[in-house]
Amino acid sequence: MADETFLSDDLLRQLMSVGEVDLLVGILSHRSANTMRRAAHYIEKSLQQNFVRQRMAVISVDGGAVEDPGSDERYGDGEPGNNSYSKGLSTLRTIHRITAAFNGAPSPGLALRTILSSSDLLRAKACAVVSPATSSTSPEWVANLLRPAFRDNFDFVAPLYSRHKFQGLLARNLLYPMTRALFGRRIRELYSDEWAFSNRLGGFCLNEDVWHEEPVRSRPEAWMGISALTSDFRCCQVYLGEKPPPPDGAGPDLVEVLRQTVGSLFWLLETHQQAWMERKGSEPLPTFGPDHAVTAEPMELNRIRMFELFQTGVKELGPILQSILSPETLSSIQGIATLDQNLFRFPQELWVTMLYEFAASYHHSVINRDHLVQALVPLYRGKIYSFLTEFSEASAADMEAVSENLCLEFERQKPYLTEKWKAGVEVKT
Amino acid sequence: MALQEDNLWYKDAIIYQLHVRTFCDSNGDGIGDFVGLTQRLDYLQELGTNTIWLLPFYPSPLRDDGYDIADYTTVHPSYGTLDDFKAFLTAAHNRGLRVIIEMVMNHTSDQHPWFQEARSSRDNPKRDWYVWSDTDTKYQGVRIIFIDTELSNWTWDPVSKSYYWHRFFSHQPDLNFDNPHVFEAMWEIMKFWLDMGVDGFRLDAVPYLVEREGTSCENLPETHAIIKQVRKRLDEFYPGRMLLAEANQWPADVRAYFGDGDEFHTAFHFPLMPRMFMAVKLEDRKPIIEILDQTPSIPENCQWCIFLRNHDELTLEMVTDIERDYMYDEYATDKTMRINLGIRRRLAPMMENDRRRIELLNGLLMSMPGTPIIYYGDEIGMGDNIYLGDRNGVRTPMQWNGGTNAGFSFADPERLYSPLISNSVYGYQVVNVDSQRRFSHSLLSWMKALIKTRNSYRVFSRGTMEFLRPSNHRVLAYIRELGNEKILVVNNLASSAQAVELDVQQYKGYIPIEMFGRNLFPRFGDLPYLLTLGPYQFYWFRLRRI
Repeated sequence: MADETFLSDDLLRQLMSVGEVDLLVGILSHRSANTMRRAAHYIEKSLQQNFVRQRMAVISVDGGAVEDPGSDERYGDGEPGNNSYSKGLSTLRTIHRITAAFNGAPSPGLALRTILSSSDLLRAKACAVVSPATSSTSPEWVANLLRPAFRDNFDFVAPLYSRHKFQGLLARNLLYPMTRALFGRRIRELYSDEWAFSNRLGGFCLNEDVWHEEPVRSRPEAWMGISALTSDFRCCQVYLGEKPPPPDGAGPDLVEVLRQTVGSLFWLLETHQQAWMERKGSEPLPTFGPDHAVTAEPMELNRIRMFELFQTGVKELGPILQSILSPETLSSIQGIATLDQNLFRFPQELWVTMLYEFAASYHHSVINRDHLVQALVPLYRGKIYSFLTEFSEASAADMEAVSENLCLEFERQKPYLTEKWKAGVEVKT
Repeated sequence: MALQEDNLWYKDAIIYQLHVRTFCDSNGDGIGDFVGLTQRLDYLQELGTNTIWLLPFYPSPLRDDGYDIADYTTVHPSYGTLDDFKAFLTAAHNRGLRVIIEMVMNHTSDQHPWFQEARSSRDNPKRDWYVWSDTDTKYQGVRIIFIDTELSNWTWDPVSKSYYWHRFFSHQPDLNFDNPHVFEAMWEIMKFWLDMGVDGFRLDAVPYLVEREGTSCENLPETHAIIKQVRKRLDEFYPGRMLLAEANQWPADVRAYFGDGDEFHTAFHFPLMPRMFMAVKLEDRKPIIEILDQTPSIPENCQWCIFLRNHDELTLEMVTDIERDYMYDEYATDKTMRINLGIRRRLAPMMENDRRRIELLNGLLMSMPGTPIIYYGDEIGMGDNIYLGDRNGVRTPMQWNGGTNAGFSFADPERLYSPLISNSVYGYQVVNVDSQRRFSHSLLSWMKALIKTRNSYRVFSRGTMEFLRPSNHRVLAYIRELGNEKILVVNNLASSAQAVELDVQQYKGYIPIEMFGRNLFPRFGDLPYLLTLGPYQFYWFRLRRI
């Protein structure tokens, strides 16, 4: 059950007014109340068109909420979505609006916990979580995510996107193949801004005592997905379409991204150790719509800086890498770091070995875990430089083959991780 | 009790709708009649209604429940004589009950002498009283109303070898109001009944009086001109009499039939009715709020007429396709329950005989702005018989007692115009007036109390209405206000208990007094007013500043 003391009186009052719903949509954001209000209106429209009879609510959870100074209206104020009968549209019921704002540092985990608690109290049969940015551009995604959980009894619904071959590089080269190899299920987009879940999974996660953990506070979606996989909930993927770029065109800081995603993945390996060690091979998940799509139009990229940062990083982080990696692996990496950039390639096998050694070292806490993940950043840059160079002319089909080979390499080397994981290590200083 | 002198009496009316045939048979022929109805007037007075709306009682082949009139100036022999009607009218008036009768202006029966003359020869003077054509291609695109039975609005007349126009059944030819003689003939008929003392007319099928090429042939300016002419003469020669429009249209379209207060006095609010049912099933006030938000204001001397059920199917013309599908799925799962674009069921069976829901819907009916209409038998929770064909399942004999023929007639049961409802849930042995008179907690007794309360406060019939819109959408709350009279109505549309916080800050200091028990509730203060309501419960509070 939800922890009632965690919810504010204001939120409880709103939930009380809503009562029970079939579907809940949560919008997560930080300091973007106005964007969120826009997104919520798009979502309501999508819900109106796709779930005419269902009882529905949209909850917007904004961390560090800052309202437009010119606006004195909360999202939840007023009567939602009025009909025009002469135009003959619309849902039969009120789409309820709920707002939950909290001050302080951004915490997707705290926001998700608010949504899970609300979903639990509202007894929602299915719940989708979306970002304000994508909801404004692709409101249909909400309905597509909700359907499998609401109508087909799936517990966790992950998205699939159409991406350019050079988009989603972290997922393609690390997160997806490693998750697939270790947890034995092929979820392509575990770290995503949008996903959906059933009331069964929602209730299960709400009762887990993990909400104070940093990986859950920063990337709760991955934790939720892995929890679903390892506890035998029914998981599926649904194709959503082209993932729109971030609204301002600027990518997030790579160090922070790796800290949140790879750090979270390593933490999940620890907390679900028994589950991944028992799994062998991997199985596809039921997928609604086409499997993911890759596009391969030419793209201008500045790779030179990436290679320089790789070389510098290997050189400067030598002592740290020495404590994380085996001598053979470190030597191989130092070797390729000396290559001319035109000849440089980061071999697949080495990449996988290196990552597994990072994971094992994280487990054994050979150094501060945060520093450990940061040490991965230059190596990742090297891998991506290599990837971009190697496959600049590759077709979409070629890219698929490359990805599949990488996944198989992760699966092939899994016993190596297990061995390193179980082995005692000497902590180097 | 004499009739009150008030030209706006229709605003305070509570109308009881009945068919003479269904109410009480005095001569044992198995068909209700005016003598029988007169004998039962005390019941209507006791119930608290003050106006009777009679369905057509004219001579007719009865192929459309009397809306196919063959003679406008007398009474169908099955129902008695004109003298019987006069005696009924006098008796009603003596009890303070007004009487509204049907006037079908749009069409006649094909058995009416006018049509017989018109079809007899193209040169007959009555020929132009109807709408004829050598082809069936005029007025293309005009919708067919009875889609279950009619393929076209034109029917070939083999006698005069031409087509005649009809918006309803093919045996109901439309009159031609472009011919001024038709209007004068209709006015003469109306005068006939007005002179006798009837208090008003329900004008049937109003939007279809005039046809024009290239239009929908509905709601045309020429139709409004005809209504204005009727109203003008009515006001001049018969002040205080009332016209009620049957225009199954969207509120914005019906609004035009009020004109500037110079067309109809009252009109049915058709779209509100299905939305009350929808709101209770959805447990959401949205349908009601939306349709009332879209309802335009009407002139001061006009009034909406609102109802839950009537003699026809529960019409679903004024709903969206999505809403219609929902209503069918929720209230007419058995396809036998459906007819045309509607549902042929009575109130109690639609509510699954749930007393709380029946009360809630009647509470809504009596507290919303408009003149409420009660369909005969619904005040005791009568059932229906969906297997009787057409809409006859909601037109079965009134159930007066548990004895022979439910006290409706002393004829042999086989001779009754319709079988009685006799199943174990709604049968006359269980559901009847006499048994419900005996208990203060019966539906009938409860209805009497409801009507009495409504009749005690003019704010219900003439006051303004303002929604409170609390955040709990399962609660529909509104304030009715007329001068110093203020009533707060709070309805729980849900099957579960609800808490609601009402923003009543502008009424700070008022004390709410529950109107049925007359109990005081805590005074309104600065904070939102918290109320809890049981499943389908509603409160009427009189607000007093003491």
